Amino acid sequence: MGLRTEVKVSWCPGCGNFGILRAFEKAAGRLVDEGIPRGRIAVASGIGCHGKISDYLRLPSFHVIHGRVPPFLTGLKLANPDLIAVGFVGDGDGLNEGVEHLIHAARRNTDITIFLHNNNVFGLTTGQVTATSPKGAKGKSTPYGNPENPLNPCNLMLVSGATFVARAFAGKHSQLVEIMYSAIKHRGFSFVEILQPCVSFNDFWKIREEIHDIREAESVENALRLCRDKTACGIFYRKEEETFEDAVHRINK
Amino acid sequence: MFDFNVCIAGAAGDGVKEAGEILAKLLSNMGYRVFVYQEYESLIRGGHNASVVRCSEKEIHSHRYYYDAMICLEDYVFEIHRKRLRGFLIHDSEFECDFEPSFSVPMLEIVKEAGMPNLYRNAAALGALCYIAGLDVGDLAKIFVAEYGDKAETDTEIASKAYEYAKENCRRVLTVLRISEGDGKVVSGSEAIALGMVRAGLKCYYAYPMTPASSILHCLAKKKFALAVQPENEIAAIMMAIGSAFAGKKSAVGTSGGGFALMTESVSLAGMAEVPVLIVLAQRSGPSTGMATFTAQEDLHFALNPAHGEFPLIVASPLTASDAFSLSATLLNMAWQFQTPAILLTEKHLTESYESAEFDENEVKVNELDIFDSETDGIFPRYEITENGISRYAVPPAIVKANSNEHDEFGITTDDAEMATRMYAKRMRKEDLIRAEAEKLEPYVCIRNGSDTVVTWGSNYGAVVEAAEELGYSVAGIRFLRPLILPEFKGEVVCVECNYRGLLAGMVEKEIGKKVSRILRWDGRPFTPEEIREALSKGR
Repeated sequence: MGLRTEVKVSWCPGCGNFGILRAFEKAAGRLVDEGIPRGRIAVASGIGCHGKISDYLRLPSFHVIHGRVPPFLTGLKLANPDLIAVGFVGDGDGLNEGVEHLIHAARRNTDITIFLHNNNVFGLTTGQVTATSPKGAKGKSTPYGNPENPLNPCNLMLVSGATFVARAFAGKHSQLVEIMYSAIKHRGFSFVEILQPCVSFNDFWKIREEIHDIREAESVENALRLCRDKTACGIFYRKEEETFEDAVHRINK
Repeated sequence: MFDFNVCIAGAAGDGVKEAGEILAKLLSNMGYRVFVYQEYESLIRGGHNASVVRCSEKEIHSHRYYYDAMICLEDYVFEIHRKRLRGFLIHDSEFECDFEPSFSVPMLEIVKEAGMPNLYRNAAALGALCYIAGLDVGDLAKIFVAEYGDKAETDTEIASKAYEYAKENCRRVLTVLRISEGDGKVVSGSEAIALGMVRAGLKCYYAYPMTPASSILHCLAKKKFALAVQPENEIAAIMMAIGSAFAGKKSAVGTSGGGFALMTESVSLAGMAEVPVLIVLAQRSGPSTGMATFTAQEDLHFALNPAHGEFPLIVASPLTASDAFSLSATLLNMAWQFQTPAILLTEKHLTESYESAEFDENEVKVNELDIFDSETDGIFPRYEITENGISRYAVPPAIVKANSNEHDEFGITTDDAEMATRMYAKRMRKEDLIRAEAEKLEPYVCIRNGSDTVVTWGSNYGAVVEAAEELGYSVAGIRFLRPLILPEFKGEVVCVECNYRGLLAGMVEKEIGKKVSRILRWDGRPFTPEEIREALSKGR
């Protein structure tokens, strides 16, 4: 049996989320081929178009509330360290409503993987700016231009102590599969920003031409420099460190 | 019947709270039932702290308003308590107190001679009290050893010196007799709650520090009875608890009003996704930051209706520390039995007071849960629509899907009108089962003694029982608040609560269709039996 449910996908035709779903199926499929039972791969998603992904995956899942994927997965992982915890979050979801959770999950090195569907816009609520929308961007709530500066998600995660930080493009399938697989395999907090064009409210498919690969940095400082270039893709940085769950269980022995 | 009420007062940093606990343990060791009320301000040094220690030959769950003795460690705190003192005063000879009879003891001098910091004056005070109240200073030394181990020597030495000083310079006012070999134990309401939850199988506890619930977190973290984790905020705390429960572990959170306000969106999520989670809501004076270290019962309506949408919710409030043990276990059980959130509603006067309490481990049965936890090929019908509303709980590695959206029997999002109608009703049907279960579980405690009844909830119970007994009232201590189940009332009904409007009183009025009179306070202080007696007598 495959990893997809029979639920009809309701994303707009041409949505970047299709690329993310397909790549994840491949990456998770590889884990299953390696002998990991599907039931051990537990996923969670927040609120927004990305959140529907839970319905489409034949895996244990929880479609939670806006912004709260990281603490949900932290509790799940603490309770059952055998589970592989994968979270899908949106830019509005993860960086507006629930940004504090991402920072603390990174700081703790909780062994969970976060895939950020970054389309720089609130799509499901029909086009408002998010924390990653550029200054000046016009949306329904900012008809005369966004007065705020955007966050750089990879930069934020690197300075917060994430032990795996990468960026990928929803339209570059094989690299996305590789990065997703490596992120899940990484023991510790993994964060992957996935550039995800929204055909209805922020169509940036054309950046495909500008997407270029980088070589993994050996220090956070270099990784920070690399990720400033918003079309640079690849694994910026990774290191091994004791995970939060291991520390908690060690202390409570 | 012997009954002795002592107030130890000083500044924060004077060891007032510790002195109160030590004295309580000494009196418990001598076979008495004890109760300790701890009053303190939200500061670390200075200000005013008081510990009111009461012992009695009978069962008590309250301190008294009037003190038989007072120990004063700072001059400026005396005036706060003067009107309550009806016995003798012991104070440091560093300052004068205009009161008779009073005993001046050079506590600071004794401590300085021993080369110890000011904090040790609490040991000197207890030593002097031992002579004046006829307590055995050797027994006090044993309590020091039990409490401080190797470090007890200094306390013992200082206490003995003060005892000798008092013997030479003061007189013995009374002799508190040993009545039996007691266990020397007192427990706080917080400890009772922690142990109750552990008894029912708690595995994960998440809490952001907030008075007066923090002591539950401290207790669990220290004793390692469950994973005790302090997350970034209260939203994270309850979401982590939901995550752990989704993975099959019994989980709980603890907070006070402000923190609970942050949790409410997730309470609704737990209701929708049918995830069991126990929330300990320890009330303090509000609104907003209010008086952070003072007691209140202002959050009743908030606890009963905390979040958007309709979903089954269980709310109950313990009357005493032993009740806190059994009720927290019961609620954790019920949350899992009915797969829905439950709230243990309590207050500062319970969590941070100490009393003699026995925990009946056997009284609390731990439900064996039917949890499906094997691998599946297809999606597990986690939300199967059943007659009584309960579907089988399943956890990964079963392919189980939970959802904050309305969903079908497999947890898949739906907007379908027919499915929504049936699934919503399935969840709500659990309310009938919850009511039936609560009815079996002593939803209230009733003491029949006269036609008129004093109704109360939470930690007022101890003070109410004493006043009602004296004046010939029946007492109803309400434990289950949602569902609210009341006894039959014959005569007049008076409700005692720590809030402005009489929140339970209003609910009782709706239920019984007649006016309920109210004895209320919202000054952050707990009721004493004397105050309730006076208020009840005025009403007659």
